[in-house]
Amino acid sequence: MITVEHLTKKYGGFAAVDDVSFTARPGRVTGFLGPNGAGKTTTMRIMVGLTPATSGSVRVGGLPYADIPNPGRHVGVLLDASAQHAGRTGREVLTIGARTMGLPDSRVDEMLELVSLSGTESKRRVRNYSLGMRQRLGIAHALLGDPSVLILDEPANGLDPAGIRWMRGLLGGYADRGGTVLLSSHLLHEVEMIADEMILIGRGRIVAQGDKKSLLAGRASATLVSSEDDAALGAALARAGYEPTPAGEGLRVPCAPAEVGRAALQAGVVLTDLRSGSGGLEDLFLELTEDTQREGHPVAATHQGATA
Amino acid sequence: MSTDTTGPTGTTAPTPAGVLDVSGTPAVPFTRLVSVELRKALDTRAGRWFTASIVALCLVVVVIYAFAAPEGATDYGDVIGVSGAVLGYFLPVLLILMVTSEWSQRTGLTTFTLEPHRGRVVGAKFVAGLILGAALIAVAALVAVVGTLLGGGDWSLTADILVKGFLVANLVGILTGFAIGMLLMNSAAAIVTYFIYTLVLPIAVGILSAFQEWFADLAPWIEFNTAQGVLFQEEGAPSGELVAQLLVSGTIWLVIPFVIGLLRLLRAEPK
Repeated sequence: MITVEHLTKKYGGFAAVDDVSFTARPGRVTGFLGPNGAGKTTTMRIMVGLTPATSGSVRVGGLPYADIPNPGRHVGVLLDASAQHAGRTGREVLTIGARTMGLPDSRVDEMLELVSLSGTESKRRVRNYSLGMRQRLGIAHALLGDPSVLILDEPANGLDPAGIRWMRGLLGGYADRGGTVLLSSHLLHEVEMIADEMILIGRGRIVAQGDKKSLLAGRASATLVSSEDDAALGAALARAGYEPTPAGEGLRVPCAPAEVGRAALQAGVVLTDLRSGSGGLEDLFLELTEDTQREGHPVAATHQGATA
Repeated sequence: MSTDTTGPTGTTAPTPAGVLDVSGTPAVPFTRLVSVELRKALDTRAGRWFTASIVALCLVVVVIYAFAAPEGATDYGDVIGVSGAVLGYFLPVLLILMVTSEWSQRTGLTTFTLEPHRGRVVGAKFVAGLILGAALIAVAALVAVVGTLLGGGDWSLTADILVKGFLVANLVGILTGFAIGMLLMNSAAAIVTYFIYTLVLPIAVGILSAFQEWFADLAPWIEFNTAQGVLFQEEGAPSGELVAQLLVSGTIWLVIPFVIGLLRLLRAEPK
């Protein structure tokens, strides 16, 4: 359980984290999602005491992080997989962690096996590791002390598709056993697939939070449809009170697919394609964080068939 | 079927399962932190080779000295002075690296997460540095034995030289390295600063002193290296004025940087 309450961090006049509150609960994977520079890392750094908060508080398992004795045994942390001494071997990095936490060296071998770093790889120096290998090492380090809470900043960064699937399974299983997982990412699809709950942050503020269903609840839906007679279908939809617009080879209608199907049925038009046209979470994410994106019009670029 | 149309918004009361039971977890003992810091000082190629190089350099310089020094200047007291001087130049660099690698190599992210009480980490590092320094001082004394054997085997040694010139000077070096490391928190900058401080500054002060009489009087009060010359004088206890100069310049160059560096390190954000 991680409880963040009214957390604010200001650097001069700039609020990197602005009145952020959320809870990451046991047995669930909580995804912390936002564009680069939204305040995800700063929030996580404050959680583990590396950065002091300007105001507000964070409790991990009911305690301020600094009050957790031998914190590595309770909270697994991975903030930056590349923040390791380049001249140390992977095995040595884990050995230092294990020694600090008072764990036997055999735990190092267990963790290396868990993240599939081979004996030879573990004896190589971190400077020769790929980002994916550093990420695996970092996850191994976070899991060393058999913690009940995991705080991972961009853990999937640099992992190949197989690695991302592996991590998804690992963290999912961890949460199923009652662990609390908070992981950040700027990649929506990655989080969408693994997280039970999502916290969307943009420019230091939380813009939305909840599970996927509740996030999308109340969102205007859209449908992409094409038929053997688009003109007739368009007219039928207009009669039904919707405003179809040409999109690619068909029409885009601001309503649910079922309504389009009903209109087609009544008009006796044969449909050749019918699907949901809303970008779902991605649209929501981009809209909510639009003013914090670096690109000009990210929403327009993702709308399907917007070229017509 | 449960209805969960209202999304979880983090307002749920904490469940007992979400509370950490820390009753069975003692804090990380200080001795363990010290042993980990010692390990970290020597577990990289850089750390090991640098330490080995210091010893090798001591040996080379001492052997050369044993053969090249004039007759009568190769007793154990002379040779240990040479060995200690070589060590004194490089030991602080070892201490600097122990502190700065946490920032330059960014390992502080892990170190300060596993032990969030930074004061304990700094303390452990300092003790580890003292242990490592003591071990190297012992090795330097052994190296001097080799040099003395080569130079004729005169074992005379005054307590003054041993304590002041060898032990105290190297202890000051350890403190200096630690202070500069904490103050700058960057390996390259700290090492360069250290060598400017020990090599360039005394020369600059010497030149200024040669031209300005008032500065020559002032120099021992404000320049630590000049004041430390006291330590290397063989005869008896230094005068009260010399000790006062040592204290004043030591406060300026050692105590103040040490305290400011410590405060800076305890507050800095490891990036």
